[in-house]
Amino acid sequence: MENDVIFQPLRFRNLTVKNRLFRSNISGRFDNYDGSGTQARINWEEKFARGGVGAILSSFCPVHVRGRIVPNYAMIDNDDKIPFWHEVGEAVHRYDCKYIVQLSHSGRQRDIPGVENLMQKALSSTNQTDTFHGLLCEAMTADQIKDVVQLFANAARRARIAGLDGVELHASHGYLFTQFLSSAINDRKDEYGGSLENRARFLLEVIQAIRQEVGHDFHLQVKINAVDFNNALFPWEKKGNTLEESIQICTMVEAAGVDAIHVSIGSIFPHPLLPPGGFPPDEINWWYGNIISSGVRGYLNYTLFHFRLFRPLFLFLWNRTKKRHPVERVSAEYAREVKKHVNIPVLNTGGYQDARLIRKVISEGYTDAVSIARPLVANNDLPQILLSGRDLPEQPCSFCNRCLVNAIANPLGCYDVRRFKGDRNAMIQEVMSVFSSPPPLAAEVTPHE
Amino acid sequence: MSSRTRIKTRDGVLIDEVYQSPVDRYEVRFRKLFLLIVLVLAALIVGYVIWSVTTDHPVTYSNITEHFKYGSIGSEPGGPLMSPVGGVLPPYWVFRVLPAICPDKLPGGYTSLGFIYEPGRDLPIGISRRRRLGMDQVGLNCAACHTGTVRETPTSEAQIVLGMPAHQLDLQRLFDGVLSCTLDERLSLDNLLGKIKESGGHLGLIEGLLYRTALLNQIRTASLRQQGRSGVLLSTAVPAWGRGRVDTFNPYKAIQFNWSLAQLPPAELIGAADLPSLWNQQPREGMQLHWDGNNNSVDERNLSAAIGAGVTPVTVDHDNIKRVRDWIWTLPPPKYPYAIDAARAASGQAIYAQLCAECHSFGGKRTGSVVDIGDIGTDPSRLNSYTHIFAANQAALFPESRYRFTHFRKTHGYANQLLDGIWARAPYLHNGSVPTLWDLLLSPEDRPQQFSRGYDVYDKEKVGFISDTPGAKRTGSPYDTTVPGNGNAGHLYGTHLSDEEKRALVEYMKTL
Repeated sequence: MENDVIFQPLRFRNLTVKNRLFRSNISGRFDNYDGSGTQARINWEEKFARGGVGAILSSFCPVHVRGRIVPNYAMIDNDDKIPFWHEVGEAVHRYDCKYIVQLSHSGRQRDIPGVENLMQKALSSTNQTDTFHGLLCEAMTADQIKDVVQLFANAARRARIAGLDGVELHASHGYLFTQFLSSAINDRKDEYGGSLENRARFLLEVIQAIRQEVGHDFHLQVKINAVDFNNALFPWEKKGNTLEESIQICTMVEAAGVDAIHVSIGSIFPHPLLPPGGFPPDEINWWYGNIISSGVRGYLNYTLFHFRLFRPLFLFLWNRTKKRHPVERVSAEYAREVKKHVNIPVLNTGGYQDARLIRKVISEGYTDAVSIARPLVANNDLPQILLSGRDLPEQPCSFCNRCLVNAIANPLGCYDVRRFKGDRNAMIQEVMSVFSSPPPLAAEVTPHE
Repeated sequence: MSSRTRIKTRDGVLIDEVYQSPVDRYEVRFRKLFLLIVLVLAALIVGYVIWSVTTDHPVTYSNITEHFKYGSIGSEPGGPLMSPVGGVLPPYWVFRVLPAICPDKLPGGYTSLGFIYEPGRDLPIGISRRRRLGMDQVGLNCAACHTGTVRETPTSEAQIVLGMPAHQLDLQRLFDGVLSCTLDERLSLDNLLGKIKESGGHLGLIEGLLYRTALLNQIRTASLRQQGRSGVLLSTAVPAWGRGRVDTFNPYKAIQFNWSLAQLPPAELIGAADLPSLWNQQPREGMQLHWDGNNNSVDERNLSAAIGAGVTPVTVDHDNIKRVRDWIWTLPPPKYPYAIDAARAASGQAIYAQLCAECHSFGGKRTGSVVDIGDIGTDPSRLNSYTHIFAANQAALFPESRYRFTHFRKTHGYANQLLDGIWARAPYLHNGSVPTLWDLLLSPEDRPQQFSRGYDVYDKEKVGFISDTPGAKRTGSPYDTTVPGNGNAGHLYGTHLSDEEKRALVEYMKTL
């Protein structure tokens, strides 16, 4: 497989990654409540580095406690977090794997605010409540925007000091950047709302601040949803940004000095197309309880999930948009359009597992690399399996999304018991392996220089 | 900022503080809204139910003749849902399907009882429809007893004459059939709903609920009560009324006053009399009305007749009765529809003026006054069925109201009637004991002793309805003048005339 396009290095302006397989942003509640990291996270990231991915994009990493999604995710909100992130970087670098930390702010999409945030609403571009859980928020003032811009710049500085290989701005999935970018959400009347240029201003200011803080020789990429499909769940919502608008945003951020675009889809999370695949109502019923009191629609949602009678109603809404999209390569077509309009590398995420498909999208110019989350959670060594010449693992990811639903409550791992031949104990044991340090490096893995 | 609730003991010790997050505050607001919505919805539902069971909405007709034929006068049951009053017929859909449920008790349906169906109508003339007690109800109106049919020959099409006595209608069989069928085991919920469905019926939400829960019991209770009160009038203890006749006051005693009829003298229960015409009421005001002349107020007579149709002081619809009253006030009598021998009629007119006008003409000296029973000599049963004590009780029907009866008096004879439209008012005398005008001019012993009434083919020669042909026997009800109350004696005026004079007089009377 020496000439396999999947295993060709990808050269960014400031970074070279050994292959075209990126671990996409995913994590469980592994860390301390205060956002300080634990060995479990190091173990978690090391699993994938060891499995052979070229780079790891960290999970959602809050730049401030007010902007976190759930507690127990490591944050990068303070200089005291630098040593931990350095340790994470060290752990994955040993496998010639790069580590890019995703700088994030939840905005209103704060699934479990935690005790620190109980008494205050989330910051957002708008006062309008989140459409899924009913999470409350308030529109940021100009001063607050300025502060948050600086928080991102500070976080980027910490990433660089920690020896990480780059940062990614999470401007997708409905989090704070999306709340500014999306025409369906941003209802501001000031210079941060209205026209596309105004809606992009906050993101561009962050890019500018980061470049000022860390210079132009540090890898900076932006993850963006190519289409909002903001009305995918509730047909009465606005549609939001189109592909054409997103392409314009991509050209703006390229001009502002980013090194790559990471293309996804959907202006909320979760979203019928994000991640593509199933929506297991049993699993939702078990774990949605953790979110109930976070928003003002929690009880309504829980009622829909809990009572079998109502499930078809929700699933009807949830599945209606899905039918028009493939599960695998859900956003590939959009990535290709973005790639046509920018001159920096493009990554694409959404249902990649099959080597034939990955080869096709890279070789046919849809994307320069793919980022993968769930199939790597299922098979940490997926890159090695593909490298061995096989197109799929023996027990591939089914895209059932049980891992996603568990993430709000439990340690992350593959929760598809079918992949463990029905052996629930074996499945849980595999999930819990994140709490044990991996065995020493195997000889065949190339250590970091 | 969070808001707080402080909970203190009676001695002021702070034992708890309850805080609210923004989400709590939002939800409290939402809960209040939710509670408000629930309350509003509950109020709407309760309001709808209350409206449904209390609404009193007759089917209305702007055209006065349609109103007369089908409009409600308030004879449908009404009052409180749990203890309705009034009415002699079951609710609309029960009434509609009853003949199908008990074909033996109502053979041939309501048509065979003499009810007249116009094309495209769900109910016959004389049956009104009104929303009461949460469902569609039916009741009798004026047209039931005051609309008749006439045919020239057995094969002619029947002409409907409004205001004419319903000489073809057998009210007693209607009451008997409805009563016995509503008490029949076959009137089960399954049968009822099945037949309603077969008839293309659809029950509304509340109506359906009432049908499925309380209605059948309520109907049976009402029927048992009715049977207990007036059953004797439907039994063989009382001679059959036959077609075109009604006992005006005895059912009234049972239903309105709850008298025990069995304790009354048996002879008092024989009160069947001919149904009268309804036209041209204005000149009748002030005359002694009803056969025995017991009231001289048209309005009181009208209201009293409405009570006979099932109206009660609670359910009466005075406005709709007034509409009918205003119409019949000047409704002209129907013109004789066949040829009249003008010359013969002219010679009859002189005889009429000499023999009849004093008692029967407009402005006649004795028109509208009572002739003593001893002088008139006709059957006294109807006169005797109306008593002093009954008259006294009538005064208590609408107490403290402008509708209170004040004109009813016991008399001692029968009143002289105006003879307008007399051709259409056969058979004759108060009890309908004489089939034609010709027969009335015969001596009582020569008048028909047995005949059939209710056949609507006209006898142009004798002026009245044919009563002795096989067709008349098949359709009509038998009438025997020897039965108590059916006597055809008395009113000997004109019996002494020659045949030619009689023929002339009868010819003239066609023109009245």
